[in-house]
Amino acid sequence: MNTMTLYVERNSPIHRLDPLVKLLYVAASILLTYILPEPLYIGGILFVTFLLLIIGKVFRNSLPIVTLSMFLIFSLVIVQGFFHPDNVTELFAIGPLVFYEEGLYVALVLVMRVLVMVGAFSLLILTTATDEMVERLIKKGMSPKIGHVILSVLQLIPQMRATMVKITDAQRSRGVETEGDLLTRVKAFFPLIGPVVLNSLNETKERSIALEMRGFDSPMKKTFLNEAKQYPHNKLIAGLITGIVILGIVWRVFG
Amino acid sequence: MNRFKLKDIAFSYSPDVSIFEGLDLTFDSQTTAIVGQNGAGKTTLVKIMKGLLKPSKGTLSIDGESIADQTAAQLAKRVGLVFQNPNDQIFKTNVLEEVMFGPLNIGFSRFEAEKGAREALKKVGLESKVSDNPYDLSLSERKLIALASILAMDTEMVIFDEPTTGQDFAGKEKIKAIINELKAEGKLILCILHDMDFAADVFERTVVLNQGEVILDGQTRDVFPEKNVLEKAYLEQPYVTQIAQALGYNDSFIHESELVAFLNNKK
Repeated sequence: MNTMTLYVERNSPIHRLDPLVKLLYVAASILLTYILPEPLYIGGILFVTFLLLIIGKVFRNSLPIVTLSMFLIFSLVIVQGFFHPDNVTELFAIGPLVFYEEGLYVALVLVMRVLVMVGAFSLLILTTATDEMVERLIKKGMSPKIGHVILSVLQLIPQMRATMVKITDAQRSRGVETEGDLLTRVKAFFPLIGPVVLNSLNETKERSIALEMRGFDSPMKKTFLNEAKQYPHNKLIAGLITGIVILGIVWRVFG
Repeated sequence: MNRFKLKDIAFSYSPDVSIFEGLDLTFDSQTTAIVGQNGAGKTTLVKIMKGLLKPSKGTLSIDGESIADQTAAQLAKRVGLVFQNPNDQIFKTNVLEEVMFGPLNIGFSRFEAEKGAREALKKVGLESKVSDNPYDLSLSERKLIALASILAMDTEMVIFDEPTTGQDFAGKEKIKAIINELKAEGKLILCILHDMDFAADVFERTVVLNQGEVILDGQTRDVFPEKNVLEKAYLEQPYVTQIAQALGYNDSFIHESELVAFLNNKK
């Protein structure tokens, strides 16, 4: 069964980093793009993020994720370039529509910010196994229930996909045509969606009963299956990232 | 329908793992059980026959007429498939409407569909539950609804996928009676089974599949004594055959009554 995680197993220093440090990097890099909203600084953060993706051997894997954000990026450039309220200096015109320098500058900042976000999140999800991250967060005090929700959603979606295939087969066997024009597909929707929803509800109920049977809600202190992993230079890297954020704030206030 | 023929069938889910390669099988008037371990290709085979999967090579025909280009929905008029899990199909809020759904899809009038549905529900013993919500019934009853919904379509061929799973003795007896009744009506019956006792008890012919290949195919009486071949497919003999062999009798016993009669005669 396909899993819903995008994790790519590689042997790289980024993979060996503490998931919480990577999470801190995501927060810090995004925060810095707001603290220092100049293209030069954001460009620097973007460069570091892409460099980390290359060091993590997942740069190529991040490209489809970046491509997905292209629609948003394209929309930002169009909207800001043509319609930003501060637009004064004309760059070029397409018929009656004029594209402005000020709008382009705003769009550039926004686009770079989006790329930093996408890149940083890609770094996190492509180099971190979901269960490792969830376990690390639970050890840091996150509710195991939230952890379970995250992991179950990742498991349930492929399961639902498999169930959907079975249900489609069962209904096609009873003469429901699922292929063809839009009307045919709309007609097939109700016989398919009913069993999918009912199956999901049943599975969820059975899953929760099975969890309770295994003491999920027990008030006892839980023992973790995996021993606490040692992450070398953890504090140093986390301190460095925090230091850079503080430096950025100081620069912004006094610079 | 007299004959369903598969010729030189090749199928794979991915390019590097082949499920069938040059499979030839013909199903005729005999009731047939298909047995084999998990992953042997049983469900894939019936999905190909039902048009749910398309083979990469080979031909499928019913009474000599090719059905390769027909969709599962088009084949629904001729081939019925009773799925293992009834929850994969049930979506109506009462039993009668659920059973009428298939017949209405394949062009029955409302009157014909209701008549067929009521008859099918009577066959499976659920005629008193026509107004119930299927999800208020037990799993074994829902399995019978799924069976009735195919019987109501009055197809020439009926394929069962693990009909005995989750059924108690009475349920199994009911399914056995239905299979015999369908056979008497001249329908072609095929059944995927893990229950060797049921296979031995009910079916005239047994096909043993192992890793996409037919390793045994013949009269059920001749298939089940082949202990060594069955073991290759990780299957065990029916209990009555095992008991007879443990007692040192090499005749092929596949019904309890045969063994009892034999032992009585020996006294």
